[in-house]
Amino acid sequence: MTDQVLDSPRRRPFVLGQQAGLVVVLVLLGALFTSKSPGFLSSFNLFVLGRSLAIDIVIGFSQMVVLATGGMNLSVGSIGVCVVMMGGYLMQTAGLPVPVACTLALVLGGTLGWLNGFTIARSGVNSFIVTLASANLFSGAMLILTKATPLNALPRSVAAFGQMRIGGGWVSPMLVVAAAIGVALIIFYRFSVIGRQSLATGANQRAAEMSGVPVGRRIIAAHALSGVLAGVAGLLTVARVGAAMPAVGGQDWLLPSFLGPVLGGAALAGGFVSVGGTMLGAALVTTIRSGLLVMGIGNFWLDLFLGLFLLAAVLLQRYRGALSLRFRVQGS
Amino acid sequence: MDLSIDHVTKVFPSVRALDDVTFQVRAGEIHALMGENGAGKSTLIKIVTGVYTPDSGRLLLDGVPAEFASPREALAAAIGAVHQERNLIPRFSVGENILLEHLPTRNGMVNYTEVHRQARGFLDLLDRAIDTRAEVATLSVAQMQIVEIAKALSLKAKLLLLDEPTASISGHEAAALFAVLRRLRAQGVAIVFVSHKLEEVLSLCDRVTVLRDGKIAAADDPIASVTRGRLVSLMIGRDERVADIGVRNASLNRTVLELKKVSTSFGHRDIDLSLRKGEILGLYGLVGAGRTELARSILGFGSINAGEIRVEGQAAHIGSMHQALERYRIGYVSEDRKGEGLLLAYPVRDNIAITIWRRIAGILGLIAPGAEAKAATPFVGRLAIRAPSIGAMVSTLSGGNQQKVSIAKWLAAQTDILIVDEPTVGIDVKTKVEIHELIAGIARDGVSVLLITSDMAEMVTLADRILVLHGFRIVGEVTNSHRYDSTSAAVMNLIHAVEPATVGA
Amino acid sequence: MRRIINAEWAGLLAAIVVGAIVLAGVSPNFLSEFNFYVLLRSVCVSIVVAFAQMVTLAVGQMNLSVGALGGMVAVLFGGMMEVLGVPLWLAVPLAIGIGVAGGLVNGLLAAGTGINGFIVTLATASAFTGVNLGLTKSVPFYKMPAALQDFGNGRIGALPFLLIAPLIVSPLLALLLFRLPIGRRLLAVGGNSQAAALSGISPGNAIVFAHCLSGLLAAIGAILAVAQLGSAQPLIGSDWLLLSFAAPIIGGTALTGGYVSIIGAILAVLVIALIQNGLVLAKVDPYWVQFLLGALIVATIFFNRWRARPIRLG
Repeated sequence: MTDQVLDSPRRRPFVLGQQAGLVVVLVLLGALFTSKSPGFLSSFNLFVLGRSLAIDIVIGFSQMVVLATGGMNLSVGSIGVCVVMMGGYLMQTAGLPVPVACTLALVLGGTLGWLNGFTIARSGVNSFIVTLASANLFSGAMLILTKATPLNALPRSVAAFGQMRIGGGWVSPMLVVAAAIGVALIIFYRFSVIGRQSLATGANQRAAEMSGVPVGRRIIAAHALSGVLAGVAGLLTVARVGAAMPAVGGQDWLLPSFLGPVLGGAALAGGFVSVGGTMLGAALVTTIRSGLLVMGIGNFWLDLFLGLFLLAAVLLQRYRGALSLRFRVQGS
Repeated sequence: MDLSIDHVTKVFPSVRALDDVTFQVRAGEIHALMGENGAGKSTLIKIVTGVYTPDSGRLLLDGVPAEFASPREALAAAIGAVHQERNLIPRFSVGENILLEHLPTRNGMVNYTEVHRQARGFLDLLDRAIDTRAEVATLSVAQMQIVEIAKALSLKAKLLLLDEPTASISGHEAAALFAVLRRLRAQGVAIVFVSHKLEEVLSLCDRVTVLRDGKIAAADDPIASVTRGRLVSLMIGRDERVADIGVRNASLNRTVLELKKVSTSFGHRDIDLSLRKGEILGLYGLVGAGRTELARSILGFGSINAGEIRVEGQAAHIGSMHQALERYRIGYVSEDRKGEGLLLAYPVRDNIAITIWRRIAGILGLIAPGAEAKAATPFVGRLAIRAPSIGAMVSTLSGGNQQKVSIAKWLAAQTDILIVDEPTVGIDVKTKVEIHELIAGIARDGVSVLLITSDMAEMVTLADRILVLHGFRIVGEVTNSHRYDSTSAAVMNLIHAVEPATVGA
Repeated sequence: MRRIINAEWAGLLAAIVVGAIVLAGVSPNFLSEFNFYVLLRSVCVSIVVAFAQMVTLAVGQMNLSVGALGGMVAVLFGGMMEVLGVPLWLAVPLAIGIGVAGGLVNGLLAAGTGINGFIVTLATASAFTGVNLGLTKSVPFYKMPAALQDFGNGRIGALPFLLIAPLIVSPLLALLLFRLPIGRRLLAVGGNSQAAALSGISPGNAIVFAHCLSGLLAAIGAILAVAQLGSAQPLIGSDWLLLSFAAPIIGGTALTGGYVSIIGAILAVLVIALIQNGLVLAKVDPYWVQFLLGALIVATIFFNRWRARPIRLG
């Protein structure tokens, strides 16, 4: 059984909610970093942060949709890099228009995710093992096919998108993309039949199945969606970097893909997700990363703080979770 | 060893599990502990075995106060137990499981020869056929329960607690168990025996204590002074109410579900079954007869190797529960309420509406806020589900109310056929009656019910006809006279005819 | 003989034999003493790393910090010798002690707070990496004692000195997990922690023990890696994670706990090493390694399906 707080996806008192806590911490950190280095809140810095954040958010979503159904996807990074290289190839070598290339690349992402889901649903094998295998298969195949050569002669519009600044110079359109996906996911999980059924599958697969939910189809759909989202994250990276690099993704995405959802309150065992929480969680990680850099603590010690912070955040959640559980039971 | 429960109270966040409970268990007696589910029996056992500590009151062993901070301490005090849930290590051998608390060692290493030798000794008291080297995961449910009992015996406890030890076993094994318990009694062991099976209690136990809603309803009554009726009235607080099931006659209706010479991958052969509209067809059998497996075969689990299934006269190929529900309008109330019947971490509302999400959704497959509550609320009233609110988490409800929620979703789905599997196991008597009336009611409304139950009284109350299953085959059919003695005798005769040595509990 | 054929790792053994025959046919160099030496050398660290993950899987947990902890121990090991002048005979037990301490942190957090071990070790992995990079600024320690270098490079015929480590660790681990009560308790908790608790076993203690053991094995792996490379590189451990799961799982260890196969894990490491060795000999693109690793896991899945037991309902 899950060791996380078992809250209903709605009806949580906002004051004690996960999201509130994260917002508070964010604000505090933001104040801290700004006081040490005023440049932190500059429009340029926020723009740069926003781009990284957008990518981390979508990576987090990619993992979140699979966590929702009670599984995990270790191939998030691998699918991401496959989509990156496919997209790059279509744009540069095949000369296809950017929107077409992107769409086809995303189709690849969805297909790879679909393969994961299909294997998991049909064989009944743990998603950990299946995606461990597919992570290696996909990355390996990509390396074999591309011989690890980066593609940096992409159409101008790609890098231009990455550089674009809207909203008075503060915001990258990537953030808008991430936010739009977030809104769509919120609607999906709260109001759509497929979304509700997916969460039920994660909460208790056997019970959901015995209640008429087509669990196999939902798991497959979740993984396919995960693949598409991993692909989106990959394409956003291409825009930011201005080239299709085979070094992108891979194991680097593993940690961020879990950090966002977990900090945001998703249950590792499935059945509950928080879209807002995932976004805030990703924001927290990005803020810490950038803040430490700005404070001159240097790149090297970064991971230590990140790790300590994650622990503190999770501990705090557990403590607060125990509080809110007691609060709810006494009140009922 | 004498056990004295002295004014023990245990409170959990939403319920007073035990309230000032006092009774004594003497060395050399088998003491029955009875009560509906939720009465506090399992909590009491967990206190005696060191899983919980009492909030007030104390335990006395041979007159000396005892406090256990962990199961290890209880074990050290020579207290052993067989709990309701299975507690075995799946990939360990039978032998190692039996001696897990006290593995024999030599030079610091586990002495496996000794493990199997000792385990064999304890196992032989109950069942010679189980191999001590077999992996527990490969055993049947009945065999697992026997291993657990052997495990408790190996503790050479002076106080032994058994929580529904015959839930999964019957026939020889149960008889062997009773023989062992009587022998232990003669040796001076104090035994606490928890069981819902009144016949067992009356024939085996010396004294009985009844719990109701966490309080003592009767303590230390000698068995000679109680009757079945009195026990039931003590447990529910008033006399057993017989369900008012009304009058129905479905014998002339059309056939809605038919199995013709069906063989399944579970092992069924030549199953013929026909269910008429508005009928309650009982499927009776001992544990292991293959009833649940048959139900699951109908629903698309396992495979049909021979024969055919027809729904409303048309050949049906049911590949999954989803198909069974959406296309053939068949529902299934699972016997595993917590594992399969409910999403424990979700609210009542979601659990009821889960089968009709698609139906209440509007355009684009989106469910309007409030639509779920609107669809689910009527059923809370209709089934008298007692919950703080429709948004309350199902895990906080009592067993009986949980079962009602598990049934409610099928009423909401408005299925034509409903397979009901052990609907009232572990449910308090009052709710049991309510559920019986509910089942009879939906049959009156035209739903065809296939009822699977090991509870003969329940079968006699509800079923129109009873198919008897034994060893994955149909051994006969009995028309229900609704009189317990004649119907149960007819059913038992059919089973005896196939296997005279097996006597039902 | 029958026991070998029916064993779960029979398939792996067959794969190794077949693979060896094929490789011998493809390249005459395969059967050379030097090649065997190279092959055996490459498995020493991997076997110990696989064990490090296997013991946490045994208790029903995961240790995502295996590689990060290994890296941290490696640089601390190298650093204490090069910078602090600690002699080798002291540095080795100290390094192992650091590994155990790291494991202790993991275990206490996982068992004490009830937070999922997955998340705990995800966080500590980050923390350990941070310490690693923070101390070294990504610069390796190059001046390792001669004795260590000799150990790392030395051999008798085809048998590298490094092989001593897995050769000693394997039977000790088998003894622990299959014959000693503490090891049985560990597996019992992994198999069914609730049942174990009711039988008087403390799940918390077992979890802490498993994580400490994992840290210890990771430290051994790190020391071996330093010996093998001849320097304490901050990159040590960076590619351990996926392998640490792949080998035990391919070898038959249960992901959910309660069952391990030491022989299986060793054979799995051998198979993977054989593949890598074969790719080099056949002059095939090294990028095939990852792909074949994935294919191997898939093959294991199918093989296990084929041997699956039918499940009976009550």
